[in-house]
Amino acid sequence: MAGHAWLEQHRDAINALNVFPVPDGDTGTNMSLTMRAATKEIADASETSAYVIAERLARGALMGARGNSGVILSQILRGLSQGLDQKTTFAATDFAAALQDAAKLAYRAVIKPVEGTILTVIRESAEAAQQSAGNGSDMAGLLGDVVTAARAAVAKTPDLLPTLKQAGVVDAGGQGLTTIFEGMWRYARGESVQLSHSEQAADHSEIRRGNVEIEEEFGYEVVFLLHGENLDVEQIRDTITAMGGVSTVVAGDARLLKVHTHTLTPGKILDYGVGLGSLQDINIENLQEQSLRYEAESKRERGIAASANGQGATVGAHGGAGAAVATPPAVGMLTREREIDTVAVAAGDGWVKVFESLGVAAIVPGGQTMNPSTQDLLHAVEACPSPKVILLPNNGNVVMSARQVADLTQKEICVVPSDSLPQGVAALLAFNYEADFATNCKEMEAALPRVHTAEITRAVRAVQLDGIDVNEGDVIGLVDGRLVTAGTDLNNVVLDTLRRMQTEQHEIITMYYGADVSPETANEMAQRIKEAFPEQEIEVVEGGQPYYAYIISAE
Amino acid sequence: MAVCILVDSTADIPLDRARETGVAVVPLTVHFGDETFRDGVDLDGPAFYRRLTSSPVVPTTSTPPPGLFEQHFRQLVTDGATGILAMHISSSLSATFSVSTKAAEAVTADTGVPIEVLDSRTVSAGFGMPAEILAREARAGASLAQLKAHAESLLARVRLLAVLDTLEYLQRGGRIGRAQAWLGTFLSIKPILEVRDGQLLPVERVRTRSKAQERVGQLVSGLGPLEALCLVQSDDSVGDQLETVAHTFWSGPIERFPLGPVVGTHAGPGAGALVALTQG
Repeated sequence: MAGHAWLEQHRDAINALNVFPVPDGDTGTNMSLTMRAATKEIADASETSAYVIAERLARGALMGARGNSGVILSQILRGLSQGLDQKTTFAATDFAAALQDAAKLAYRAVIKPVEGTILTVIRESAEAAQQSAGNGSDMAGLLGDVVTAARAAVAKTPDLLPTLKQAGVVDAGGQGLTTIFEGMWRYARGESVQLSHSEQAADHSEIRRGNVEIEEEFGYEVVFLLHGENLDVEQIRDTITAMGGVSTVVAGDARLLKVHTHTLTPGKILDYGVGLGSLQDINIENLQEQSLRYEAESKRERGIAASANGQGATVGAHGGAGAAVATPPAVGMLTREREIDTVAVAAGDGWVKVFESLGVAAIVPGGQTMNPSTQDLLHAVEACPSPKVILLPNNGNVVMSARQVADLTQKEICVVPSDSLPQGVAALLAFNYEADFATNCKEMEAALPRVHTAEITRAVRAVQLDGIDVNEGDVIGLVDGRLVTAGTDLNNVVLDTLRRMQTEQHEIITMYYGADVSPETANEMAQRIKEAFPEQEIEVVEGGQPYYAYIISAE
Repeated sequence: MAVCILVDSTADIPLDRARETGVAVVPLTVHFGDETFRDGVDLDGPAFYRRLTSSPVVPTTSTPPPGLFEQHFRQLVTDGATGILAMHISSSLSATFSVSTKAAEAVTADTGVPIEVLDSRTVSAGFGMPAEILAREARAGASLAQLKAHAESLLARVRLLAVLDTLEYLQRGGRIGRAQAWLGTFLSIKPILEVRDGQLLPVERVRTRSKAQERVGQLVSGLGPLEALCLVQSDDSVGDQLETVAHTFWSGPIERFPLGPVVGTHAGPGAGALVALTQG
C-alpha cells in the first residue's frame, strides 16, 4: 500500500521519462493504475496472512495490468506471491527469496528481455536483497539496501540502453519500481505514506468497467464476484447456463469466483449466487438498450449514406476531381455465422467507425495515451459471441496486456501484435472469411509490415534525438514509431515525414485526421500531399484521434 | 446433328466464339431506363461500360420470358438436335434456371427431344469455360448422358475468384450475399470474392487493385494442380494485368472471357476474375 501511494505521488515525474517527446507511453500512469487495481483487492480485507494478501495483490495486478510496464509489474507481484506461498508471516530472508522469484517471472514475461529496463532494476534489487538478508538485516535494513541498489540500477540504465542516453532520461519503468520500493522502505521505517484524497476518488471514475462497445446484444450483462467455501466452478457454470445464462464465464478458485454472463433474468442468477456465498462488485448492464441505441445510430448513418451515394471517397491517380472527404456510409453488420471474432483497441470516433465497418466484434477504448488494462481486454473478449478471438492491440504498449488475456479466458486467443492503428486496419483487411483461425492469425500478422505509419503530433518537451533538435511545442513526425523530423510548420513536417516514409514507392496513402483538425483543413492537406505525390492515390478519413493531428499510412 | 449445348448470356462467351464452338446462347436483358438491350447482341462490353459510367440512370437486368427459351430450344430441335444440355447462371443469383426448366419441359413434352437443364451454381466463365469444352465433345458425338455427367464433374471442379473495383454495383443490384459484411467499409477497398456453391462469398479485402490481383493469383496457385485456366475481364487492361499474374504460376493457354453487360451491371467497371479448372 505504501509503495503504491508513494508511486502515485511521483506518477507525473515518471511520466516525464519518455524517450520520445510524444504524448503517450505514460509509464507512471500505467504502473499506478496497475497498483491501484492490485491494492483495491486488499483495501478492505481483514486478512492478515501474508501469502493471502500477496496472492490477492498479484491477482488484482494481473487483471488491472496496463501497458508493458504494468504487465511486468504484475509479474513481479505474482513472483512475490509465489515466493511467499503458505507463509502467514515472513522475515527478511523470505522476502529476499521471493524477490528472486519476482525477478525470474519478470524476465519470463518478456519475449526478448532487454537490459537497461525495469528488468535490470528488479534483478539487481533482488540480488541486493539476497546479500542484505545474508548479512542478517531486518526488513527495514533490507529494504534500505534494495532501494540503494534499485537507484543505482536506474542510474545506469542510460549506459545499457542507448536510446535512453540519447534522450537524456533514465528508464521510466525502472524508476517506477524503485519508487514503489522507496514507499515500502519508508513504511518499514515507520514513516507515513498515504494516498491523497483526490487520488482515491479518481479510482472510481477512471477504472470503470463496461466501457466496451459491443454490437448486437440481448438482455442484461451480469458480472459479480462470489466469495464462499468449496465453490465448484464447473457446477456453477453449468447451473447458470441452465438458468438461461449465455456466454457464461466462471473463473477463479474454491473461495473466490468471478461470474460473467448474459441473461434475460438477472434476478434469478443473483439469487442463485446469494445462495452460494456473498456477492461483491455486482454490475448489471442493460444490453438491449445499448443495442437499440446502436441500431438507431446506424440507421441515421445509413440515411446519410443514401444521400451521399455516388460521391467517390477516393481520389485516383487519374481521378482528377481533387481530394474528397470520405462520407460515412452504412455501418457493416456481420452475419452471426462466423466462428472467429476480432477485438480492437482504438481511440477516436472515426477510428471506432473504421474498425466497426471492418467487422470487429468489440472495440476497447484506448491507445496512445490511455492503455487499456488486461481486464478491459478480457471483458471485451468474453463479450464476443465466438469461442475464438483475435486481438488487435494497435499500440506497442498494449501488446503485452493483450497477451495476458490468453491465460485468463477459456476462449482461444490470438494476439496479432499490431503496433499502430493503420497496422490494425491492414491486419483486418487480410482477414480471410474462408480460412480457419490459425491461418487467419498467420496471414494477419504477415500483413503488418506491409503498411507504414506516419504520425504527426506536437512535442511535449525539448529533446535532441538521432540528430534531430526538437523544441517543446514543435510539430514532430514519426515513421513506424521512430522520430524522423521536427519543425514549426505543420505542412512542411507532414510532407517531410511522408518523404522519409518513401511514400513515392507505395500505391495508396490514407490520411486519418485527428479530433482537432477540421475536414476542410484535412482536405487542404490532402491537396498538398497530392501535389507532392501525384502518382499515389490519397484517401482522407476522419480518425478523430486525440493529440495526433494526422496518422497517415502508406501501403 | 448431335446433342447441343445451350447457355444463357451470363456465360460470357463472345457470340462469334459461341458460333464457332457450337454453343447456343440465350441473351438476358439489360435495361437503361426505358431502353432495353439484349446482352451481347444489341450491346457489347465496351459500349456498355461507357454507358454504365456515364449514364445517370442505373441499369437493371432481367431474365427473358419462358417463351424466348422455348423459341431457342425449338430452333435447335428444328435444326436436328437429338438432345439438349442447357447450363445456367446460379439459381441463387437469377431466376434464369427455373424459367429455362419450365420452357424445357414444354418443349420436351411437345417434341420428345430430351433436354437436361443444369444449375451451374456459378457465373460467367465459371460455366462458360465448361460449356465450350462440352460443345467440342458434343460435336465429337458424346451422348446427352455422357455430357451431363461430364458437365457435373467440370462444374464441381471450377473455382472462380474475382476482384472488384468497388462493391457499389453489387450492392445496388442486391446480389451482395454474404459479402454484405463488407458494406459500409469506411475505406475504399478492392474486394476479393469467390463464387462457390452458387453463392457470392467474401474472401479478402485489399487496398489496391494490383495487390488484389496478385492475391487472387496466390489464391488460385494454391488450389493445387490445374487442368485449365481462363480469365474474365471488364476491359483489356484488367485482362493484361490478370494474365501477368497468372503467368507466374501457369504456363498453359489462358482463354479470355469479356465480362458482359448483364454480369457487368452487378460487378461494375474494372472487375476481373481468374477461373480455374482444378484436376480435383
